Amino acid sequence: MTDKQLPKYIFFGGKGGTGKTTCAGAFALKMAKHGLKTLAVSTDPAHSLADAFGIPIGPDIVPVTDNLWGIEIDAELEAKKYMKSIQDQMLNLVSAAIVEEIKRQLEIAYMSPGAEEAAIFDKFIEMMALIGNPYDIIVFDTAPTGHTLRLLTLPEILGEWIDHLIDRHMDSRKLMEMSARYDKVLKKKLEDDPIIKVLTKRKEKFDFARKVLTDGDSCEFIFVLNAEKMPILETGRAIKVLKDFSIPVGGVVVNRVIPPEAGAFFEKRRAAQTGYLDEIDKKFGYLNVVRLPMLETDIQGMDQMEMVANIMEDLNKD
Amino acid sequence: MDEKEKTFFDHLLEWVSGVSYGVFVDKRMSVVRKEALDQYDNLMLLLFSDFLGIPNPISYYMLELLPYMADELVPWERRIQNRKFIAAEKAAQFDFD
Repeated sequence: MTDKQLPKYIFFGGKGGTGKTTCAGAFALKMAKHGLKTLAVSTDPAHSLADAFGIPIGPDIVPVTDNLWGIEIDAELEAKKYMKSIQDQMLNLVSAAIVEEIKRQLEIAYMSPGAEEAAIFDKFIEMMALIGNPYDIIVFDTAPTGHTLRLLTLPEILGEWIDHLIDRHMDSRKLMEMSARYDKVLKKKLEDDPIIKVLTKRKEKFDFARKVLTDGDSCEFIFVLNAEKMPILETGRAIKVLKDFSIPVGGVVVNRVIPPEAGAFFEKRRAAQTGYLDEIDKKFGYLNVVRLPMLETDIQGMDQMEMVANIMEDLNKD
Repeated sequence: MDEKEKTFFDHLLEWVSGVSYGVFVDKRMSVVRKEALDQYDNLMLLLFSDFLGIPNPISYYMLELLPYMADELVPWERRIQNRKFIAAEKAAQFDFD
């Protein structure tokens, strides 16, 4: 396992309630045990990473055990910080009266439907930039499928939007310059152009995210599912979407596989699962498929996570 | 140059350049400037359409442009909300007088 080039970013996703957090946590723990500096990031607005590890984790990076750190991204807090930084910068550049007038607009934007998602994405890019310094590997525990797909496909869509904005800005600039030929004041104003600087910086961030997400060597998406009908269908669809955006899919974890010794009560369910397991092998056999057995109790706290971690080891076999 | 030292030729030159600026340059430039400002308004619309109630996928990120464009934002909003007759606006660009 150690001689194989490991991806640096690993995403765990799947339908709600399939055990994404447990798998992500266990995998992160395993990596940490191998001596890799690991960061576990939860992007799900309803965090449960702290519950899985059994220790409190907040919106700042905290150490969990040796070589393992954790963070739960808090969208509301990030959005607030962002607004605050804009307001502070504005006070440096324009008069307080105008800031007062603009405050209403800021609040509208803060309440707008996309704001929270955008805030998470911003932090997400910030986390990605931490690779190599100081972390060797970052494990993302993502939100249920739909939410995550949108998050991962954002850079592609917004990147194009920004390209278009830069074009429009250049158009209007060209005309401004033309009309400023005989107008010294306007000419002076046009000389430094913060708008293009801000737009380009934004674009670079999106480009970075897009590059990382579509690089098969450094990024991998792992789906967690149960041997049931709906999770299989949803995973199939999600893999297709990720393929369309050329985001590499590395493996599939089948969680809660009922073991033969489960007893008579589970016998019927076990028979049904066998059929679904065959279907999973047929559908996703070209990826790594790992089966996690259903355990006697739910998985919670460090000791039990470690137990799962040992089974998860197979995920990186080639 | 002192006013007294000016020759007749200097006065003529000044007058000619003034007239030619008024006749050939100023009017043309105002058309270009109008177009430039229209383009700028369009850009503002793409950036901050959220403020007018039009959903915009990128509005959150574009807030970081606000400090640089805050001066123009309020007049822009007023202007764009008062637009009533686009055809007349366009027609005004051309010289019918």
